[in-house]
Amino acid sequence: MDKTQLLVALAGALFVIGLLGVIIRRNILVVLMCMELMLNGVSLSLVAFADRSASLAGAVLVFLIFVVAAAEIAIAIPIVVLLVRHKRSLDIGAYAELKG
Amino acid sequence: MIENLLIYFFGALALTGAVLMLILRHPMRVALALILTMLCLGAIYGLLGLHAIAVFQVLIYVGAVMVFMIYVIMLLDLRDPSFRERYSRWLVPGSAVGVVLFMLIAGALRREDATQAGMSASGIDVQAFSVAFLADYWLHFELVSVLLVAAVVAALAIILLKRPDRG
Amino acid sequence: MTHALTLIVLLPLIGFAFNGAVSMRARTGATAKSLVTLVGCALPIAAFLLSIKTFLDLRAGGYAPIVDIVYNWAVIGDSSFEVAFYFDRLAAVMALIVTGVGSLIHVYTIGYMKDDDGYARFFAYLNLFLVFMLLLVLGRSLLVLFVGWEGVGLASYLLIGFWYEDPRNAEAGKKAFITNRIGDAGFLLGMFVLYATFGTFDMDRINLALAGGPVAVSATLVGVLLFIGASGKSAQIPLHVWLPDAMAGPTPISALIHAATMVTAGVYLVARMSMVYVQSSDASLVVTTIGAATAFFAATVAVTQTDIKRVLAYSTVSQLGLMFVAAGVGAYGVAIFHVYTHAFFKACLFLGAGSVIHALSGEQDIRKMGGIARKIPWTFVTFAIATASIAGIPPLAGFWSKDEILWFALASSRGGATALWLAASAASLLTAFYMFRLLWLVFLGNSRVAPEVEHHIHESPWSMRGVLVVLAVLSAVGGFVSIPHFLEPQLALPEVRLPETSEHLVVYVSVALALGGLAGAAWIYASGPERAEAIRAKFAGLHRVLYNKYFVDELYQRVIARPLLWISDRVVLRFGDRWLLDGSLNGMARLAQRGAGALSRLQDGSLQRYALLVLFGATLCLIWIWRHV
Repeated sequence: MDKTQLLVALAGALFVIGLLGVIIRRNILVVLMCMELMLNGVSLSLVAFADRSASLAGAVLVFLIFVVAAAEIAIAIPIVVLLVRHKRSLDIGAYAELKG
Repeated sequence: MIENLLIYFFGALALTGAVLMLILRHPMRVALALILTMLCLGAIYGLLGLHAIAVFQVLIYVGAVMVFMIYVIMLLDLRDPSFRERYSRWLVPGSAVGVVLFMLIAGALRREDATQAGMSASGIDVQAFSVAFLADYWLHFELVSVLLVAAVVAALAIILLKRPDRG
Repeated sequence: MTHALTLIVLLPLIGFAFNGAVSMRARTGATAKSLVTLVGCALPIAAFLLSIKTFLDLRAGGYAPIVDIVYNWAVIGDSSFEVAFYFDRLAAVMALIVTGVGSLIHVYTIGYMKDDDGYARFFAYLNLFLVFMLLLVLGRSLLVLFVGWEGVGLASYLLIGFWYEDPRNAEAGKKAFITNRIGDAGFLLGMFVLYATFGTFDMDRINLALAGGPVAVSATLVGVLLFIGASGKSAQIPLHVWLPDAMAGPTPISALIHAATMVTAGVYLVARMSMVYVQSSDASLVVTTIGAATAFFAATVAVTQTDIKRVLAYSTVSQLGLMFVAAGVGAYGVAIFHVYTHAFFKACLFLGAGSVIHALSGEQDIRKMGGIARKIPWTFVTFAIATASIAGIPPLAGFWSKDEILWFALASSRGGATALWLAASAASLLTAFYMFRLLWLVFLGNSRVAPEVEHHIHESPWSMRGVLVVLAVLSAVGGFVSIPHFLEPQLALPEVRLPETSEHLVVYVSVALALGGLAGAAWIYASGPERAEAIRAKFAGLHRVLYNKYFVDELYQRVIARPLLWISDRVVLRFGDRWLLDGSLNGMARLAQRGAGALSRLQDGSLQRYALLVLFGATLCLIWIWRHV
């Protein structure tokens, strides 16, 4: 089996597991971490393609993803902290407040 | 040869870590599982020859992001229903769709397509990496730094939101 | 002048517009009232004078029909429908009657409706009626005639329910209009059959085509259909029920519309479309039978009625039946002759009744009248002359026309029969009887008038008296103008199958019947009401049936109105409209609402639900890509 294929399949699996985690788990922080897992999956697929191709674009993009992820987590976590302070609960179900 | 074995090994380990994330109950343990996955990914990057990326993976993801996560987990240690009941009400439908997706991925793997062996194992060294940033991708670099400044400002704003009366 | 006919029709229309405008004002002052009087009466009189002039022109032109094409109403495909007026001998007779008697009644109205608040409105409606009646008699095509036909029905409805505050008057108006509409269905069908066959609505052309020999249309069908329309308008059985109720309107209306002009429109129609009935002996038989039956049965009912106007109403129905008898046996000119004399004496009778009601401050029950002849002599004399005329006492007008009818009923080669003559004669005998009964009970004998009314008995003003005098004179001498002879070149009289000597015999018999009726009434009523009471007690059952007009209204209510109402309520309203239509509409709305409600529950702010949906959508896309790559 081709290395690239394998790695891309692994990346896809990691992404799916991350998305599943967002859907399945109840804790807000766990959901945040699953979103990080999704980002990692994407990074892996980019690296796999960068390894195979001649250009550096894949590697550059991965680096940019790292930066963006860092910035994102720097904002997301304070927001979560504020929310939890307000609601006093880490349960995602508590935040479904639209009337529907 | 050994390289491929190692890639398989670390790949399997990463997958295990990811699955563990779904199963473990305590958020701290989930964080540790995620750290394991990230480290394995870093190892894979290194085995592929992209040492710069591997280093940054460990430095930024594990070193900054996950540390921050662990701080928060320790801070918000509430034993509320989400602690006792791990799974939300979407367990069954989510898992069903997830299984379908896995089958798709597995099926894609089984397809014997003609593959061309691209250039591999040569890797990308740090010098080429940095030159690329200063030559071809300098705009993206600058924009990302702007993004970081915005993130800093936003974080400050949130902090000040928390303490309106103090200076 | 070229457009004289159009002018005849338009003059009363101007009156309608003017009086209608005046009636819309809140209060009509004295000047407005006199203006209304002037306009409302002058225009019909002008129309009458114009009709006379047109008649003289007609005679000067050798009786060639005068045609006045006004304008092209519609062009649909290849066919064009125009509004045109046609003036021949028959139209001349009818137009003169309509405008002449109409003008007289307009003058009578000045006195009769003097104190009514709706004075201007009344004149407006009267003028409107004249417009439509003139359209009816002067129209060249069946379309224009039908416009006039419907228009007089409208005017009749408006005028019957003139005092609309009393719901019973409005009910009577509605009954008249609806019953007429039922007849109109037959009329329209007949019109359509004629159009489909001949491609034109012009009556003169249709008659010409029919006269030219056998045609592809069933003349019987057309004849019966047109007669259905005629029997609606002219109150023949079974559509006669509206005319007695129409007496709820003011008396000038009863005289003009329901005696002299509108109800004779059916007879006019049959006479105008005479070629149809000439071609079909079956249709003529239908006309004769219904005419004779109506004449007889209405006369029997009139014998027992106690309201002065109702007696006259049933008398009108009966006389109309006699006119149709004449038309059915082919003597169309004689039918028109009776229209002519009937207009005079019946209008005189009705207006005289109006004068009596006016004198007695509104009393209409003849059981509360009597002995007032000396107090209102002019009314009494004119009423007596008209009564003698309708009874058929020679040499008054009614005698001449009725006698012609009886002669042709017996001797016409196109349907004359002894049975028919017997039925018509029985009706005539009863007519004489109940008319003299009416005369006695109202004017002669001992007074049964209520005391407080008796003080105020006074003769009518000259605007009313003068008209009564003119009409009485016409009822007396009008018969000397031989209308059948005048109309003969156009409406040929049928062959008679009996020798001329029989005619003298018939005349003697009919005079004897008239005098017999007079004698019978005198014997029963002269000495007071006791004898009549005794007879009534003896024949109580028969009296009850006759007094209740054979319970026809109740029958219609049971058989037609109630089932119709039931269907309307149960089937159409509850099932059709509410359950089916509203239900399906509301059901669709409910469906949309429930669907929207269900869908809106998707947006509840649950992040994980949204993520699941994303996953689900992505899976579907991937499956599709998997299949197609």
